Amino acid sequence: MSAPGTLAPLPVLGAGGYRIRRSARRSSWLLGLGAGVLVLLAFMPALVSSGDTSLLVNVFILLTVSTMWNLLAGYAGLISIGQQAFIGLGAYAVVVAAIHGMEPFTVIPVSAVVCGVLAVPVAALVLRTRGGYFAIATWVVASTAQLVISSITSIGGGTGHPVPGLTSLSPTQFAHLTYWSALAVVVVALGATYLLLRSRLGLVLSAVRDDEDAARAAGTRVSLVRGAVFVVAAIGCGAAGAVLAVSQLQVQPASAFSVQWSAEIIFVSLIGGMGTIEGPILGTVIYFALQQNLAQHGAWYLIIVGAVAVGVAIWFPRGLWGTLARRLRVELFPVGYHVLGPPPQDSGSPT
Amino acid sequence: MAALLELAHLSKRFGGVVVADDLSLSVDAGAAVGLVGPNGAGKTSLFSMISGDLRPDRGTVRFDGTTLNRLGVAARCRLGVARTFQVPRPFEQMTVFENVLVAAQQGARARGAASHRAALASLERCGLAPLANRRAGSLGLLDRKRLELARALASGPRLLLLDEVAGGLTEPEVQVLVGVVASIQAEGTAVVWIEHVVRALVGAVERLLCLAGGAFIADGQPEAVLADPVVREVYLGSELAIEGAR
Repeated sequence: MSAPGTLAPLPVLGAGGYRIRRSARRSSWLLGLGAGVLVLLAFMPALVSSGDTSLLVNVFILLTVSTMWNLLAGYAGLISIGQQAFIGLGAYAVVVAAIHGMEPFTVIPVSAVVCGVLAVPVAALVLRTRGGYFAIATWVVASTAQLVISSITSIGGGTGHPVPGLTSLSPTQFAHLTYWSALAVVVVALGATYLLLRSRLGLVLSAVRDDEDAARAAGTRVSLVRGAVFVVAAIGCGAAGAVLAVSQLQVQPASAFSVQWSAEIIFVSLIGGMGTIEGPILGTVIYFALQQNLAQHGAWYLIIVGAVAVGVAIWFPRGLWGTLARRLRVELFPVGYHVLGPPPQDSGSPT
Repeated sequence: MAALLELAHLSKRFGGVVVADDLSLSVDAGAAVGLVGPNGAGKTSLFSMISGDLRPDRGTVRFDGTTLNRLGVAARCRLGVARTFQVPRPFEQMTVFENVLVAAQQGARARGAASHRAALASLERCGLAPLANRRAGSLGLLDRKRLELARALASGPRLLLLDEVAGGLTEPEVQVLVGVVASIQAEGTAVVWIEHVVRALVGAVERLLCLAGGAFIADGQPEAVLADPVVREVYLGSELAIEGAR
């Protein structure tokens, strides 16, 4: 596979002398910008206060779960309003592990795997439903998970439980470790999503979204594909939940399993653009910018956030990134296929 | 040598409507078989029972010695049974190339560059290579029909079930598709072809079946079948049989 924007010669395929490239739009400058931002973010704790890094931790958590939701909704056509089930379960996995003496930060990947395992039976259940019924089923799962967790007194029941084992760190150490953990989780989530979407699974996800029966007729094991992406999304949300538990020092079922998560996830994905990896990134940045500048205005904050959602839905139905990318012909994460060949091309691409 | 496709005593009814009444049929590897019949005769239902979209009430579907009854649509495709849909069903938001690549990677289980080659080969075959980067949702009817064919072809079929690929097309367009199908069959893929445009079939198949009321009422040389009085009876008032038999 060639890297986006690469100038390396591509293998010639077929009698017609065609070549395949993974992007119609060369966007090396965007890739450079992305790399620059990533380097800047890695050194952020040295540059800003711990208040600002803890804000960024929340940005990374929301971006991780939105990326996972977008994978389900934007690429697989599965609109979930219950991803908070795995955020909460990921958070509680940290609590349980820490109670048993494990180091909370090292438990983050374990929590993710636990959520992936728990997602297998959940997938078998909820993937029997479609469309609106699927959405409701996922919500039911999230509420059920909250009720079950709230009834277990050894992890605090309905009032929640602190995360033990974090007091040995100095406040600065703790802030830095939390920040880098959150950054690592979001980078892995975005990178894994990108690789997944470029793979055979990614291609077939879009096919299943567009026409399930036709995908089956083309040889696709649809249930397996849906199940796989559901499990991947649960793993990502579980990792985000684990970071949440660590960063908050405690977990409460009412907030970890809150449906508010789904509202925020859908907001950032819709205004950024569903079905693009970049969409939730842009959406999350906008959401936090609005929140930081307007939160002190109370009701006006909610009115403006609502107005932005309505405005984007009317004037930018593909989301801000979806519209921007089309106009500027750029892609940060190209996942499609572009055929280059000697016959006249019909793509309108200025290559 | 055993037949590629063997249907034995297939029966299917929807309430009081019988779409298959004790149907038995065998199709040899590499054969070209046409399937005609009036509307509601059960032609598409028969395809659906072969492809796995529809479960028969009774009877068995065997393909290359394997009983397919318990297998799903995807598994049958991977064994080499491909179908096209009467109303084309492209993956609308994907490009033409990506549409066909899905079949090459899933149906034929090709990977990497081999899957790209297979997809390009079937696009070239069906005359769609110049449109490889077009969004499938933006295609016109002829190109959608071609895409159905290209996608079925890319899954590496040994049996190709074509459901009215020529329907709704102009005469020259029909000729283009007939040519493509003939070349696919010439390379050893068995083709069973439902078509209302009977004249498209006559030149392209060596055997013609007529289905009416869920039963085969004729089976043989295309000209002989179309001249059969019983066949003409079920097509009475339809210009298709008259045109076809001419």
